[in-house]
Amino acid sequence: MPDDSTQRIRIFSVETRFQKLARRGGGVPRNAAIENAQSKIEEAKPGFEGWLTQEVQLLADLINSVKEGHAPPGWIDVASDQSAQLRDIGTTMHCELVTFIASSLCDVLDAIAAGSPCNMDSIVCHVDALLVARQKPYRDMKPEQVPKLTSGLRKVVDHVSVSPS
Amino acid sequence: MTTPTINLRDSVILIAEGSQYLSMIVHGILRGFGAHKVMEVRSSLEVLQALTGQKIDILLCDARLPPHGGLNLTHAIRRKVDSENRMIPILLMSSDTREKTIKQARDAGANMVIAKPISPANLYDRLAWIALTRRQFVDAPTYFGPDRRFKIEGYPGGVGRRKGDQVEVAEESGPALAQDDIDNLFSAAQSGKD
Repeated sequence: MPDDSTQRIRIFSVETRFQKLARRGGGVPRNAAIENAQSKIEEAKPGFEGWLTQEVQLLADLINSVKEGHAPPGWIDVASDQSAQLRDIGTTMHCELVTFIASSLCDVLDAIAAGSPCNMDSIVCHVDALLVARQKPYRDMKPEQVPKLTSGLRKVVDHVSVSPS
Repeated sequence: MTTPTINLRDSVILIAEGSQYLSMIVHGILRGFGAHKVMEVRSSLEVLQALTGQKIDILLCDARLPPHGGLNLTHAIRRKVDSENRMIPILLMSSDTREKTIKQARDAGANMVIAKPISPANLYDRLAWIALTRRQFVDAPTYFGPDRRFKIEGYPGGVGRRKGDQVEVAEESGPALAQDDIDNLFSAAQSGKD
């Protein structure tokens, strides 16, 4: 005899309005759509350079204030959010090195938030790397083009992640 | 292989992203795809206000959307029995693509997850998959949402299924928000409180 919970399960078909509209003819074919979207990204690039400079500077200022003993409350969360933004946007704007460094910094901050000791040097070296990566010609480089930097940051993350809490 | 074409011209697309800059980039990408009706909000309460105030056809939602996170928001939308947007397609945008997070997104009722940083090709393929793939809905005591027993054989005309992908049926997990919390969220959204 089936139990009550299985009797209450209902499986049904749905065609959402999004599906109905999206299946109609006259849309932009995939390749053209992607090309158009890339053009939109290129159009946004001049503004991105200013945004990147400003966001990295905000992060650097925050970390400097923490180093000087003026840590604002919840600074780890603020630094995490700023790093996550840089990570999430970098590659979309063809700045893979920025995403790599910011992602590595997110790992460090996550480890600290999870109980690893707060080693400021591990954060500062990432911020310094971001200050370099926001400038030309580094901004357009890929992580594999700067192997010493990437392997150094990986070692820092490994060290922070395995440190006892 | 034929490449799919989706028509986004008349779809009302809601981007829920805490970062104004990233939201603007996603907006631009969608414009490139031919979408004309794109809206942006910055918080889960604004999403609920938008959903109660107008017809939204698809929600692109950040997994870390303030203040409750995109997973809780997805869960709240799916659990709201009297909402006409209960079955809205939800595409979660997340930089955390660990298996655990993907399972949580699936169990919350998300249609699909897209990894950040977002590329136009990935976004188009996921939208095409949601638009062109028939997927049933499940209404069960502990879950409401798209059938979790699905298999990605490949995005239409796009990237293929990854070699290591496995298909499995999810175990039930408890709700992250109680029904009272969900009701309160919708009430706050309806009364315009933040």
